[in-house]
Amino acid sequence: MIFLFLRGSTIMIAAMTAGLLFASVGAFAEECSVPDRFYAFEPALTKTVKALSSRRDVAIVTLGGASTLGVAAGGLEFSWPARLAAALAERFPSTRIRVINLAVARQTAKRAVERLDHDVLSLKPTLVIWETGTMEAVRGTDIEEFRQTLQSGIDKVRGAGAEAVLMNMQFSRPTETVIHFEPYLVTMNELADVNDVPLFRRHGIMRHWAESGALDLRVEEGKKSREIAAKLYDCIGLAMADLMTRDIAAAPPTKPLRGNR
Amino acid sequence: MERDLRLDFFRGLALFCIFIDHLPNNVLAQFTLQSVMFADAAEVFILISGYTAGMVYGRALESRGFLVTGIRIYHRLWQLYVAHIFLFTIFLAMVAHTEASLNQSLYAEEFGATNFLSEPGLALVQALMLQFQPAFMDILPLYIVLVAVLPLALAGFRSWPGTVSLASFVLWLAVQVDNRVALAAYPGPDRMWFFNPFAWQALFLLGAWLGWRNIHGGVSWLNRRWLLWLAAVFSLTAFLIRFNWTLHDFYDPIPVLIQIKLLWPLLSKTDLGLLRLLNVLAVALLVAKLIRPQAQFLTGAAAWPFLICGRNSLYIFCLGILLSVLGHLVLNEFFGGVAMQFAVSIAGIVIMIGVAALLEWFVAAQGRPGGGAVGAPTASKGAHG
Repeated sequence: MIFLFLRGSTIMIAAMTAGLLFASVGAFAEECSVPDRFYAFEPALTKTVKALSSRRDVAIVTLGGASTLGVAAGGLEFSWPARLAAALAERFPSTRIRVINLAVARQTAKRAVERLDHDVLSLKPTLVIWETGTMEAVRGTDIEEFRQTLQSGIDKVRGAGAEAVLMNMQFSRPTETVIHFEPYLVTMNELADVNDVPLFRRHGIMRHWAESGALDLRVEEGKKSREIAAKLYDCIGLAMADLMTRDIAAAPPTKPLRGNR
Repeated sequence: MERDLRLDFFRGLALFCIFIDHLPNNVLAQFTLQSVMFADAAEVFILISGYTAGMVYGRALESRGFLVTGIRIYHRLWQLYVAHIFLFTIFLAMVAHTEASLNQSLYAEEFGATNFLSEPGLALVQALMLQFQPAFMDILPLYIVLVAVLPLALAGFRSWPGTVSLASFVLWLAVQVDNRVALAAYPGPDRMWFFNPFAWQALFLLGAWLGWRNIHGGVSWLNRRWLLWLAAVFSLTAFLIRFNWTLHDFYDPIPVLIQIKLLWPLLSKTDLGLLRLLNVLAVALLVAKLIRPQAQFLTGAAAWPFLICGRNSLYIFCLGILLSVLGHLVLNEFFGGVAMQFAVSIAGIVIMIGVAALLEWFVAAQGRPGGGAVGAPTASKGAHG
């Protein structure tokens, strides 16, 4: 029996290795482009899209932690919300778009919800982009509590007439083995799905960039690491703009949405 | 008495599922127990462990008395504890190894919020007290606590079975009503045990009670036909709902039959929600009634890998955790898409089977007297994990 097993498993592993060799060929992607599968089925942001094309004032609020503040890149001007603002301004030159970054490093989802009424919804935003989950995964917050917190946040934002987008955690090699992200990622998937809220799958997208070699996220010392982070946030800002505006492509396009990288 | 091969088989299956579910981003995790039922491998593992423990130690309690059995159980507990510390040491080594890059990483800011890197001494003490349960190191502490109360529960089954069952159920119910009934964990203000022992004890003790009853002629009302039908209907409904969600996850346009939102309060893994509990019990009843302990397929070659892993479950469980950590490293370092996920999954399972086979061979080679099945001597000595 043991011999049979060894023979069988050797054949199997050999077959898998052969499969791997085929799989690793190819897969070279254009710099930080995002495959369609990451947002093919995300619901549209009808109100936001309408507001963006209507040449009125549009306020977008971003909530989140250090990665939304742009800490690793050295400042707000390099953060993904700033890059998103730039991308939107380029695509909708005649609309006045404000992206208000209210992220606070190490802020929990719970604290973010507490701030909603006073700090966020009072600005009458058209869209709230909520980057969350990192502190909860790092701290191991109860999943059920996390779910309820996010649900109440989504309800509040929608109750105030704004649209919402969720953004999940970052991907980085060394943290994956130390922090258990999976349950929090699954919870965010489910929440976005049942609430029909678009989810920016940052974890999956960054993993894809690392895998395709589009962005080497291995951070070295000093200045180089800031450059990498700035590049990353630039890519995320652009991808977020793509996610938000991809439905406008159906309308007569004035300029290509996905070009000009 | 012939060994109940079903216990080994399904525990082996649960061990493979736990390993596969723990690999990151793994396509195969869509095809494990969790995608066809509300419960997952953790419930199966704890239920079977409880049942085996109730049977093995229950028998010991009858023949050797409370003190000897209690010491035997605590000897087992010691092995589990050592295994936990061993896994923790590996975790610590890994963190120490990657610390430089963690502090440089995109997560540096959030990582600073968890203090265990800055105070390894405290983290170590907390781990020794089972309060620190980093990634994947949450099921052994639960198991340790459950085994710790086993002697009392067994003594209770003998004298006041009604009271013990009621207390266990009420405790589970208390968790469902108010999830503040929980054990605090380290680090952080709001970290709790991932597996709430106050809830999970219900499944383990129910298993132990069934195992205990089994040596006293079984539980007659479990043979009712309507109960079997009820279990079948429930399991089938659960399968349809859960598998529909799996398909929806796979391909979004597939419509959802029942919104998951409606069932969330009953699906908590931490608190062993009602549907998870009922589902694992219903499936267990079906298996118990429909598959014979020595069924043909269980003695065939295809079942052999499952059986040997299930029989050596403590070793294989720890090995599985270790392999999933290594699998993480491989998948996040080299990626390789679906093919790589398959390769890592298969390689891990092959290693688990290989080590289990080696253990079996070693026990046989030592020539210990025992029954027909290799490994039976260990079992009769009470190694139930």
